[in-house]
Amino acid sequence: MIDFWLIFRILVFPGFTFVLLLTLFCDWMERKIEARIQNRVGPMVAGPFGILQPLADFIKLLTKEDIQPRDAKKFIFKFAPLVAFSVMVFAMCFLPVDGASVLSVSGFNGDLIVILAFVTIANFLLFLSGWASSNPYGAIGSARVLTQFLGYDIPLFLVGLTPAFIAGSLSIAAIASAQTIPYIVLAPWAFVLFIISMQAELEKDPFDIPHAESEVVGGLETEYTGGKLAFLHLTRDVQIVFGAALVVELFLGGSSGPVFFGLPAFWYSLWFVLKLLAVVVITEYITCVFARLRLDQVLSANWKILLPSAVLSLILTVAMVTWVYPLVV
Amino acid sequence: MSKKTRIPPMLKRAVSHIFTKPVTTKYPFVKPTLPADFRGQQVFDINLCVSCGLCSRDCPAKAIEMVVIDGKRRPQFKLDSCIFCYQCAESCPRNAIKSSVFYELATTDKSSLVLKPQASVERRASPQ
Amino acid sequence: MPNSNVNIISVIESKLKDKVQIQPGQLGTAAIATTNGLHREVIQTLLDADEKTAITSITGLDLGANLGLLYHIRTSNAFVTIRAEVPRESPKIQTITDIMPGAVFHELEVADLFGIVFEGHPSPGHFVLSDNWPEGVYPLRKDVNPYDVKLNPSKDVITQPSDGKQVKIVLGPQHPALLEPEKFVVTVDGETVTRVDPRVGYVHRGIEKATESRTFLQDVYLVERICGICNSIHACSFVETVEKILKIEVPQRAKYLRVIALELNRLHSHLLTLGHAGLEIGYETLFQYFWRDREPIMDLIELTSGNRVYSSLMTVGGVRRDIKEEDIPKIKATLTDLRKKLPFYRQVYEDEPSLKMRMKNVGVLKREDAIKLSVVGPVARGSGYDIDVRKDEPYEAYGEIPFKEIVYTQGDTWARMNVRMDEVEESINIIEYAIDNLPPGPFRVKAPRVVPAGEAVNRVEAPRGELFYYVKSNGTAMPERVKVRTPTYANIPAFLKTAIGESIADVPSNFVSLDPCFSCTDR
Repeated sequence: MIDFWLIFRILVFPGFTFVLLLTLFCDWMERKIEARIQNRVGPMVAGPFGILQPLADFIKLLTKEDIQPRDAKKFIFKFAPLVAFSVMVFAMCFLPVDGASVLSVSGFNGDLIVILAFVTIANFLLFLSGWASSNPYGAIGSARVLTQFLGYDIPLFLVGLTPAFIAGSLSIAAIASAQTIPYIVLAPWAFVLFIISMQAELEKDPFDIPHAESEVVGGLETEYTGGKLAFLHLTRDVQIVFGAALVVELFLGGSSGPVFFGLPAFWYSLWFVLKLLAVVVITEYITCVFARLRLDQVLSANWKILLPSAVLSLILTVAMVTWVYPLVV
Repeated sequence: MSKKTRIPPMLKRAVSHIFTKPVTTKYPFVKPTLPADFRGQQVFDINLCVSCGLCSRDCPAKAIEMVVIDGKRRPQFKLDSCIFCYQCAESCPRNAIKSSVFYELATTDKSSLVLKPQASVERRASPQ
Repeated sequence: MPNSNVNIISVIESKLKDKVQIQPGQLGTAAIATTNGLHREVIQTLLDADEKTAITSITGLDLGANLGLLYHIRTSNAFVTIRAEVPRESPKIQTITDIMPGAVFHELEVADLFGIVFEGHPSPGHFVLSDNWPEGVYPLRKDVNPYDVKLNPSKDVITQPSDGKQVKIVLGPQHPALLEPEKFVVTVDGETVTRVDPRVGYVHRGIEKATESRTFLQDVYLVERICGICNSIHACSFVETVEKILKIEVPQRAKYLRVIALELNRLHSHLLTLGHAGLEIGYETLFQYFWRDREPIMDLIELTSGNRVYSSLMTVGGVRRDIKEEDIPKIKATLTDLRKKLPFYRQVYEDEPSLKMRMKNVGVLKREDAIKLSVVGPVARGSGYDIDVRKDEPYEAYGEIPFKEIVYTQGDTWARMNVRMDEVEESINIIEYAIDNLPPGPFRVKAPRVVPAGEAVNRVEAPRGELFYYVKSNGTAMPERVKVRTPTYANIPAFLKTAIGESIADVPSNFVSLDPCFSCTDR
């Protein structure tokens, strides 16, 4: 019996199927919000309010011809997008969606470090996939991915440790459950910095330099077609959901929230999804209201502003944890 | 980065637009209303035609060919070459060529874009 | 000492009286007949006399035994055509690119299309025609039938991505930053551009040649199709030139109606570019807003002319349809709506930090360089080089309509975009004034189809800058020669100049600030 339950949790809820559906839904919502901010209607034909549009796009790409460039490094070209996708879905499994993570054993002390490492691995796989396509635009796009994530990984890690300091634990479940007062209230500066570095890590405006199509055409996706492109897109969408989910766990109290009746797991999942959607709205809003910066501007902003602020944030947090929070909590 | 105290205007505008109605025209579900003298597909009235051939001579795109129907020369419009400038209507001494607001001319069958002069030219049926 | 109020003709007369022949006529303020070598002297005299002397175009002519060359030079208050002739057998003439760097492209074009060799040109070679064009066939000469030209087998031109130290990035012919095909090989050292090699001609359709086998009436629609965005201005310029040869005076009402059509065209063209610039710097929201506000203008063009894009309003002798009394409230309401939206955009350009980071100090073109490279339109006005044909040489009703000439002095992408933004407002003012003061009367006069022998030049201010037409008629219903110099053709040198030394990431936003239109460029 236990085995069936475990398989259900891995494959359906809150595992693979749930993550996939949530990703497609977030993709739809992003597009709809972007459209409304830009005074457009957005997807409207596939399904009610166009809600099936991301799925339709995904299926359409799967049916397209799959072309492999002659000079591509075939193995990496083929498998990097798939592996990147799997890594992201696997990383999602560590996040306690309905109060506990997918595998109860996986929620060990220190899983925060593991999933932040997964983000890095996924980005590195995306870099590999662009590099393997042997296309100058793909190469430039990949190089930009690498440059940018080298710059923003450190601030992300540093700021990501802030909640861990406050909670006194490196386990995501522990951090989430320790938030009787959400850390967005206790450490708003860290929240802002985390959103900014997440935005850069996820390559969204104003940091979407690797996707600057007026400069590098399709970036690392230039040579990809068909199913592989579909998985590259999906990986990106899962990354966005994952980033939002991480923000929810670290700063918004995870899946905690009032339970009214029935299954607590249902309410926990509901709160989690609602918070996640709120974060997606915020990131999409940021995407819409800024222009894309230049690579040198992004890098200098990173080294001159973001990195020092991240260090300061950490120092401030330690000070607060030592002297201020004991009085409040 | 320069320090500006004013808030970038886009921040506010973006929020306010979420709550306003989109401006998108929902074509093809909702068709736009066109001005009455829109230059769409030509309507040719064979009863007014005097077979002078001026329309064919003046057509900048050479889209009008004079063909013999019942022993008389009549214009045949090739809409795939037509640039819808309506010089033909202007050149016609008898006003036999008029404009219509019919504009959905996309088709997979090129031959359906040739308007054969008939007693009364119907609007081209939309392709099935 | 350069003086902008100097009478150019008297300067030429006093300095070169015994050498050149000054002929009054339809070729601008004056036509000056010169010979090989002497043309350089005249141009040098003009350059010394007026600081704003720049070249508009070079027209090639097939005169039978000789090939003709017309150098069209503009100064601050005059427009001069310098004639020169070279024998057909050995068509050689000295280059003027050393004293006038803006003439590089114009000489290349004449060399390609007429086979005239410019001795001393810095970078000779095919520019307009394709690389596999046969040697010794010059398409605009009268003895060449373009249908008989047999192209050489084409070779694959592979640009080596790197020659050791420097990397070459090929922008185009197909590239998302270029909406139309044209090739720019950008050599970069790290992220810095060190060299740009342009190659135009990918959309050369031979319209100048095609006009010679169509009637003047048909040519109005043909030249309208040189450019989709500024179509009215092309047709307008052409019919004005023909009217000059015919010596027809257009009715006053037609002049105002033409102004309305031209300004609607300018409005939608400027809004398009402003939005496109947003897209190039990854500001999609701004792009969507501009294009949303452009749509009502397209509807107005549809309302007044019967078609969204190609208005086909102009005809020799006037306009083809009158504005309807019942449409005027709608036109005014739409313009008022647009005017209300402008302060927001201006604020975005003033206050939005990420936009300013991408546009300020990008592609700075100094005033001296702008004049030297003979750039036109908003690019020139963004650099403090105040040329606007509507002011300098008013055509149609522009002389009677009050409006401001917009000049910014910074010379960067941001300034060029702000010129366009302010011109949007000026255009609204002009249209409103024209509608309010629309004179009664007929809107067209009957014009003969056969044009008497003669030649004329005409300049108008297209949305992208000064548009130049030269028409020569030989007394038949078809023109002998039509020459079009489009504003983008004159503005590309500005990009080549400003891109060098900048980051590769700034190339798209710098480039789009010229409002490039390659269909225009290639014709």
